[in-house]
Amino acid sequence: MILAGQPVAAVTVFGLSSGAVFGLLALGLVLIYRTTGTLNFSHWAIGILAVVAYAILTGSGVNPQIAVLLSIPVSMGAGVLAYRLVFRRIPRSQHIIVVLISVGLAQLFSSIAAFALGFEQFTRIPAWLPATDYHLFGITFKSVDLITMAAALAIAFGFLIWFRRSQAGRALRAVAQNREAAMLAGIDDVRYSSIAWGMGSGLAAVALLLVLPHSAGDRGGLITTFQVTPFGTLLIPAFGAALIGGLVNLPAALIGGFVFGLSHELLVLAPAPWSNLRGAIAAILIVLLLLMRTERFFASRQEIEALEA
Amino acid sequence: MSAHPSTLAPVQFEPAPEPAFETPPAAPTRRRLRPSHILGGLGLLLLVSLPIPFGDFGFFVGQYGAIYAILGLSVIVVTGYAGLISLMPYSFAGIGAMITAVAMASWGWPMWLAIPLGAVATIPVSILVGITSVRLKTLYLAIATLTFADVLGETFFKWDRITGGETGWLLQRPKLGPIDLTSDATFYVVCIAVVFLLLWMIEGLRTSRLGRAMLAVRDNELEAQALGINVYKTKLVAFVISGLIAGIGGGFLAVLLTSVTRSAFQSPLAQATSLLLVTLVAIGGIDRAIGAFFGAVSLVIQQQIFQGADFFFRFVAVYAALLLILFLMFRPGGMVQVGKIQLDLIRRRPIVGIAIALFFLGLNVGVAWLFLSLSS
Repeated sequence: MILAGQPVAAVTVFGLSSGAVFGLLALGLVLIYRTTGTLNFSHWAIGILAVVAYAILTGSGVNPQIAVLLSIPVSMGAGVLAYRLVFRRIPRSQHIIVVLISVGLAQLFSSIAAFALGFEQFTRIPAWLPATDYHLFGITFKSVDLITMAAALAIAFGFLIWFRRSQAGRALRAVAQNREAAMLAGIDDVRYSSIAWGMGSGLAAVALLLVLPHSAGDRGGLITTFQVTPFGTLLIPAFGAALIGGLVNLPAALIGGFVFGLSHELLVLAPAPWSNLRGAIAAILIVLLLLMRTERFFASRQEIEALEA
Repeated sequence: MSAHPSTLAPVQFEPAPEPAFETPPAAPTRRRLRPSHILGGLGLLLLVSLPIPFGDFGFFVGQYGAIYAILGLSVIVVTGYAGLISLMPYSFAGIGAMITAVAMASWGWPMWLAIPLGAVATIPVSILVGITSVRLKTLYLAIATLTFADVLGETFFKWDRITGGETGWLLQRPKLGPIDLTSDATFYVVCIAVVFLLLWMIEGLRTSRLGRAMLAVRDNELEAQALGINVYKTKLVAFVISGLIAGIGGGFLAVLLTSVTRSAFQSPLAQATSLLLVTLVAIGGIDRAIGAFFGAVSLVIQQQIFQGADFFFRFVAVYAALLLILFLMFRPGGMVQVGKIQLDLIRRRPIVGIAIALFFLGLNVGVAWLFLSLSS
């Protein structure tokens, strides 16, 4: 086993940057679940719509940085529409229907994405973050990893502060804690649920836009058919990160993202039989977290019952 | 009675949530021609005779549809009857397919022993998932099964001795005495026979003691427990039955394709196919056995028949997903429910009913024809 500075530090930075992305995805999942009681299996597919919009915009000659700004609202709009047209009309008590519909929406959005890309096996998209290598103490850091981590953390913290301090954030928390009481206090339930869906979908879009345009290193990124499937490759660790906060706690979901990112990357350095577990570690952790019923550490019994009833 | 009158006000209980699906009547009426019987009979006739004009391609599509109907039945038992959302039916099918393949290709077992072995091999996994399902509520179970598929893909399906490494297994379709399965027509008839045997059994399960227990658990777990139903056992049995059916379907899939590789059962293909199974059953009708059959028919129409028409095929995926969402929002019973309403309408007002049915049929066929002519 090699424990030289180079691989450990490089792998840690990579793990932290992918962890920040998992955290962003998980924040969106938790926000939507907490306010509207829908566990959004179409989270990934909604996020991929922004990447598809980015691919189309840059393909038609728009500057990549501007294309990013223009494509995030696509996902937000899709999320708000999904809530307004579909989830608002389904009684929350019918769990099977709600889950099946969110699965169906994932199918719908991913087939729209595949359709928009013309069913290509690979679509090449340009990078939008500057790519340089920094050498520090004999360790190479990629600027993309550092910027991804910093941007994801900044957005996540900005979002958490907005959620705690702003009027809208307070209203969202009120709806999450007690729907009926919030409505009695004059909070428009539908309006704030739409805001939650819009924000959550926007976070998913940002997370995917940080990763996919840089997936092929300095040459930009690729959208493959695996990423256009309804449950893309990063959705399972994002669910795991959300579960660390019991699907209800936002800061814990962010920390959970780092747990999943680091555990996935650091297993590369583990000795032979254990490094084979790399692909399954997220799934194993999730099963353990589910059996621990983490939600009881983060929410009162009443809140959990209101979400599950 | 010194208490203040207001404290004696009757307690307001919240009404129980409306169940999404209807439950069967208490005493099943037997020996009566029901709409589902007519539909089933018509479907059987149509299905057996449909591939003949299309030759080999028709029989391949028919076998494919029949196997997906078997896999769909496994979803019906666990999700439609017992109300447990399992997003891993295709992983169970994968276990069945792999064990059947290794038994036939490597150990030289005959097919009629290898497929049951594949089905039985799913039992340990279904018991494991079943035990978890007792502890987890709907949403959490959906996540758990999604990830179980991942765990299986990274552990069981990476076991080279069973899955044959990257290359997988190549099988020979056997001859069982007079039944020559190398002929597509014969294999098709065998598949249809298995589908209808299973359909009959699963529809019977619905009105049996066990099936009613499953429906009770689905509608209200606490109520079911109060009625003396062993919720734990019921959920476990639902998963085991569903796993057995998926294993049988997987075994037939292995024999149909004659080549089995593990990548089909690993992430993300495993999840994508499981999702397809769940959605097609939801379109067909998730709480009746015949729904799996309708779902498989719709899959065959979507996937196999229009595959050649590239331009049109792109629209079909979007259309199917939209259809699924509309069905779940307004008719959660799927095509079975819509068909029942339509038959009722035809019986009460024949002209209006037939006109509406023809209108929708014509709309679908017309739009399909339009796109096909645009694409060529």
